[in-house]
Amino acid sequence: MAQEKISEAENRKMQQHDNVDISAIVAIQNMGEKVEEYYSTLKSALEGLGTTYEIIYVDDASEDNTYEILEKIATKDSATHLIRMRSPFGESSSFEAGFKMSTGERVIFYTTRVRPDSSRLPALLEKLSEGNDLVVGWRFPRKDAVINRIISKVFNFMTNKLTGIKLHDINSGIIVTRRDVLQNLQIYGGLGQFIPVLANKQGYKVAEEKIAQLGGFFRKSRFMGEYLQRVLDILTVLFLTKYSKKPIHFLGFLGGVFAVAGAVIELYLFFYRIFGFGAIAGRPLLLLGALLLVIGIQMIAMGLIGEMIIFTHAGDIKEYNIEKVYH
Amino acid sequence: MIKMQREERLDVSIVIPIYNEEENVELLHGRIDSTMSQQDKSYEIILVDDGSTDRTFELLKKIHDVNQHVKIIKFRGNFGQSAAMAAGFDAAIGDIVVAMDGDLQNDPEDIPRLLDKMAEGYDVVSGWRKNRKDKLILRKLPSRLANKIICSVTRVKLHDTGCSLKAFRSEIIKRINLYGELHRFIPALAKIEGARITEMVVKHHARQFGESKYNITRTFRVIVDLTAMNLFMKNLKSPLRFFGKVGTFFILIGSVVAAWILMRIYCFDNPLTDVNILLITVFLFIVTGVQLFIWGLLADLIVKTGKRKSIYLTEN
Repeated sequence: MAQEKISEAENRKMQQHDNVDISAIVAIQNMGEKVEEYYSTLKSALEGLGTTYEIIYVDDASEDNTYEILEKIATKDSATHLIRMRSPFGESSSFEAGFKMSTGERVIFYTTRVRPDSSRLPALLEKLSEGNDLVVGWRFPRKDAVINRIISKVFNFMTNKLTGIKLHDINSGIIVTRRDVLQNLQIYGGLGQFIPVLANKQGYKVAEEKIAQLGGFFRKSRFMGEYLQRVLDILTVLFLTKYSKKPIHFLGFLGGVFAVAGAVIELYLFFYRIFGFGAIAGRPLLLLGALLLVIGIQMIAMGLIGEMIIFTHAGDIKEYNIEKVYH
Repeated sequence: MIKMQREERLDVSIVIPIYNEEENVELLHGRIDSTMSQQDKSYEIILVDDGSTDRTFELLKKIHDVNQHVKIIKFRGNFGQSAAMAAGFDAAIGDIVVAMDGDLQNDPEDIPRLLDKMAEGYDVVSGWRKNRKDKLILRKLPSRLANKIICSVTRVKLHDTGCSLKAFRSEIIKRINLYGELHRFIPALAKIEGARITEMVVKHHARQFGESKYNITRTFRVIVDLTAMNLFMKNLKSPLRFFGKVGTFFILIGSVVAAWILMRIYCFDNPLTDVNILLITVFLFIVTGVQLFIWGLLADLIVKTGKRKSIYLTEN
């Protein structure tokens, strides 16, 4: 488990408060003087719902005074709870830690990084009660850096194409859903940003609702590594939705294509040499063919090993999601 | 095991995956129920609604309201035939589990005969649609061909592995984990678990209503699944043997070619230009061979540390 270890006793201590209707779990990091303002908007939005609620802040090891401010808030407001990570573990882990502590039937999750206007949260809850199982916040109008938006667009387009979901902002990090939905998805722990994709795959009704973004400073994606991460994310989606149980369907196909291409090249060169058209020893094509063959065989073998992993652990995997059983 | 015996048990569970069969469900239920109620056995009918989009579920609920033997499992979405069967098998509490299709092409009247056959001491009885009522070119021929291939690869000798009407002893079917499209290979999976398998001729009717839902276009996937299944059948206990054999073969070829190169250089003093080609061959084969060995070790590790239940099954 990547997040800070929460012992059984601590866990029980944390859950001593009574069960509530709505849990708002907020991942927060380095928000400084904005914390107070964000808190009061969220608080008044939740107050306006006229039901029981709790706010759980998960401070992902902020380096500024975020934690101190939150601590003050938590001592004043009994409905606010606070978790601090020992070191930054990322939003997925923050969500997991917050969810473990929460008691609400309905769960709101968002990260302050994307700066959603929390006064719009009731609209998302409304959408949830319209018969949806999970509502994703669609950041609109967006105020981020242009580059972030472009990357986001590409990611969403690809994910929609691959999964058949029709959402504008899948990885907005703003999710409103029911407790049982998340409990059902938990087996995939650590895949926080793919929750809508996983929920959709499990047959839950996933909808979206616009939520405005507050202005202010947004960190830009600065490193090539982050762009690469996005590409890998799309691959993750592909595996999650299509090949999670059948690695060999993917790797076997790809490996087959490579191996056949390699074999065709080598055969061509073989006959070229046999029928005396010329020497082939110095031709780069020879090496290319060998390379493709090796890669192809590797992929197929890897697919088989993946298949063995799935097969040996298949007892832990449920491939279906039951809505209801009538005895 | 003691705990298991305390739970409620029945003699027979009938598991039927259903996907958009609104015309068939009522008729299907009526015929199963009239057959089973004449039997001197306790039973349940588990109908798994695989995310139907038509009126199927409403009809199922109506059936459930009037018949206490009926259990319905409703899926949130369409998860496929394997998943639907797996859910039904997981929920079944009968000592014998019978699986069949929801399209009435199988005849529920065959169920008592399957049960009689089971009583002879078999663990799996598979139906054989000897007089199949389907289109020859589109369904029967591909099915026959697939059956030939599946039989020869998995070495389970059945005339008709594709027939959905099958009966299993509960211990066997509960050990089988169905995922992906593995429902095609249930007899092979049962054989891995050490089951005694037989077959018997069952009736087959032409489809009265609706259309066939499961097509034959996934040839590639089936072939790949088969290859994997073949590997599992023979090598699940020790994948290193399989990978090791292939790896040795590759390394041997590489070594022979390497020896030939050395001979040419040192004995015949004749290093021709095409030594290049031979060198590449050596690299190609030895690299692949060594890798196969390592993967074999890895696979061995995976299989042996896996949480899979022990490979043998004791009787009683």
